Amino acid sequence: MHALIINGSPRVKQFSNTDKILEKFTAGLRECGCSVEVYEISVRNDWEKIREAFKENDNIIIALPLYVECVPGLLMEFLEGLAPKDENTRLSFILQSGFAEGAQLRCGENYLRLLAGQLGCKYGGTLVKGDNFGIRFAEGKERDKITEPYRKMGQIFAQNGDFFSDECRKFTGPEIFPLPLRLFLKLLFKTVQRKNFQKVATKWGCTKPLDYKPYKEK
Amino acid sequence: MVLIINTTSNSNMSEILKGLLNQKKTDFDVIDTADMNISHCMGCGHCWLKNPGTCVINDDYAGIMQKIITADQLWVISDTALGFLNHKGKNVFDRILPILCIYLEFRGDQMRHILRYDKRTDIGIIYQGEANRNYLQQWLDRCTDNLDSKSLGAYPVAELKEAAKCMH
Repeated sequence: MHALIINGSPRVKQFSNTDKILEKFTAGLRECGCSVEVYEISVRNDWEKIREAFKENDNIIIALPLYVECVPGLLMEFLEGLAPKDENTRLSFILQSGFAEGAQLRCGENYLRLLAGQLGCKYGGTLVKGDNFGIRFAEGKERDKITEPYRKMGQIFAQNGDFFSDECRKFTGPEIFPLPLRLFLKLLFKTVQRKNFQKVATKWGCTKPLDYKPYKEK
Repeated sequence: MVLIINTTSNSNMSEILKGLLNQKKTDFDVIDTADMNISHCMGCGHCWLKNPGTCVINDDYAGIMQKIITADQLWVISDTALGFLNHKGKNVFDRILPILCIYLEFRGDQMRHILRYDKRTDIGIIYQGEANRNYLQQWLDRCTDNLDSKSLGAYPVAELKEAAKCMH
């Protein structure tokens, strides 16, 4: 099997969480004998090349971060320039987000199902998972802890050719967090997490409180 | 105040709405972005962690953001592509991110970002071209949940006057 993989994140590769996910996912694919070619839509100069690859390939995965409940604007712009294909092409998706619960990604997933049809392709399912915000801020083993599970998903895709298996479905985790966990997180959000965000911000050279209001409310 | 952002090159729609809203004596502001420079969101995170509330991209969106945070209603007029808003319409939504803080809370049973400002802006869509209306409605409901406001609905251009009735 050969797979064309398009990283649909607007972020440059170095800072792209989707890229770190794809590192593990493609490793899983390769381990099971699948060859891959990977492109980034953040490199606008490559768009013609990627559209050509979209035309030539029949097994395509678009990996993307959820932006305002759907496809990022830049990816939308890229997609608008694609020539529709036919049912011989299978289009699958890896949808990831910062928000952790599965329910947060369903609206985006619903669009991706529609999108496959809009592009004339057969839908190969969407691998849905949130809680990936921290990838950019983690390194080494800490980062691997978040991204490593995607290797197994790569292996499964190499075998099945789609994301419809139970294992892929379960990969999402809980749709909604149970009440006790929500109460615990609520406390965490107000305390430890605020401090952690402030720490990162200070490292980035931020001198203002994170709830600062730069615009005047009349 | 009703803020209308027309991302299409059909300025005729802006003119019709201006006429209707003047008749109703509604306080409104129409921005035609066809000749403006509005980039996509790059997801750099600076508006959350480096310069809170300010987008790092120095283009025409800054003036729009200033108006959104004082608007009672925001209406985005957009062309469509692939059953959804085209990238110009989607960019207007993606760039709204600095209106949220990075801080989280639970609203209902899902985590959401805390709003940076006190104003709650309800949002409607007017779309020109083929689109999946059911999906747009569902998507707008989610968007406005994130902004702690209400959806005003997604209207095809053919229902421009119906949309205008909801503008007040």
